[in-house]
Amino acid sequence: MKLPFLPIALKNAFSKPSTVNFPAEMHDAKPNYKGRIAYDPEKCVNCGMCIKVCAPEAITRTFEETPEGTKITYAFDMCSCTFCGTCQDFCEEKAITLTGDYHLTATDPKDLVTVGSRIKQIPKGDLICGDACVFCGLCAKVCPEGAITVDRATKTWTCDHSKCVKCGKCIAKCPKKTLSFAEPAPEGVLFDEEKCVYCTLCAKKCPNGAITVDRPNKTWAIDRDACTVCGLCVKGCPKKALEIGPLPAEGAAKPAPAAEAAPAEAPKEE
Amino acid sequence: MFKNAIAKASAKSPWIYHINTGSCNGCDIELVAVLTPRYDAERFGFKLAGTPRHADIVVISGPVTLQSRDRLIRTLEQVPEPRCIVTLGSCPQSGNVFKGSYSVEAPVEQFCDVDVAIAGCACKPETVIEGLYKAAQILEEKRAALYKKEKEADKK
Repeated sequence: MKLPFLPIALKNAFSKPSTVNFPAEMHDAKPNYKGRIAYDPEKCVNCGMCIKVCAPEAITRTFEETPEGTKITYAFDMCSCTFCGTCQDFCEEKAITLTGDYHLTATDPKDLVTVGSRIKQIPKGDLICGDACVFCGLCAKVCPEGAITVDRATKTWTCDHSKCVKCGKCIAKCPKKTLSFAEPAPEGVLFDEEKCVYCTLCAKKCPNGAITVDRPNKTWAIDRDACTVCGLCVKGCPKKALEIGPLPAEGAAKPAPAAEAAPAEAPKEE
Repeated sequence: MFKNAIAKASAKSPWIYHINTGSCNGCDIELVAVLTPRYDAERFGFKLAGTPRHADIVVISGPVTLQSRDRLIRTLEQVPEPRCIVTLGSCPQSGNVFKGSYSVEAPVEQFCDVDVAIAGCACKPETVIEGLYKAAQILEEKRAALYKKEKEADKK
């Protein structure tokens, strides 16, 4: 008589059970398992590439203006994620990692959202390119929004400022270090000659005595060094002839955005 | 009079009814893997029921397609209280990569209250066991609350 399964039966009778004793004995996931997303907001430069490459639109970004700067919040919805890892691959700053954490159950789906936020001082000025540019096109290549176009043949560099998110990737990549964010025009009190009735209220309101108004000669002058742009004069003006805004550039040697503002203000100075 | 005995016995064998509402089969296979000897969810009494009328836990997988929407509603209506609804994978919660499609009606929350969400694409069998275990606990709480309510109604 032959017993073909006897060796297997004997072997199994004395071996450990093949069932994984799971909830009692927790074990780590296998290497390279893609689980819950971990996000490091400190490393993130807010280029938005992860949002662009995410097929199920699981990543959302929200901006919130705070006194310290712009608060940028990234939310990764695990209930929407395909765990493909493309966001991790495309993140040059390595701010996104898919961890081996597989405990992805919750009674409230909101618990499965990885949220990270940080406050960033977004540069106020627009991106500008200096004279040292060699038109290599590296900045255009690295731009996540495709805002920069470089034409080597005609030696032109243009930036679509409406597309630019000011992540600074191009500045880091530029071999000639010629890219930078333009310094924003300094703010100050702007004067509207047509509205002013020379009541001298603004001069009285000014805590620093920076404003001098000559009623008979109808002249209005401000000492920019003494002015702290507190806005008291603007609030006190009955004719709303004063407002706070970027000051017009002095001379034509300033970068493009300031130079554009200059001609509009020029006739008033004359 | 048998209610206590039923509650005690039912707590040890929550039966699962699995409905596929347009899933790609990834999560379905993982749910089946949970029932195989390797993970053996029957240790906890989880067992696939043949009909929604026998089920305690309903597992929904898939992004709820137009074709399956009415069937899903009809199936859920047949499940007796107390019941627990579990979503398997990312699809029923958000639609996953199918969101925005003309034939997808995700999220499933529009049609029923979801008790436990299991995330993953597809979910790991360990995650499924964890989720079902959570669902069983919720089910027990729901059953206790329901029986208490019935008892009070009987007294009146």
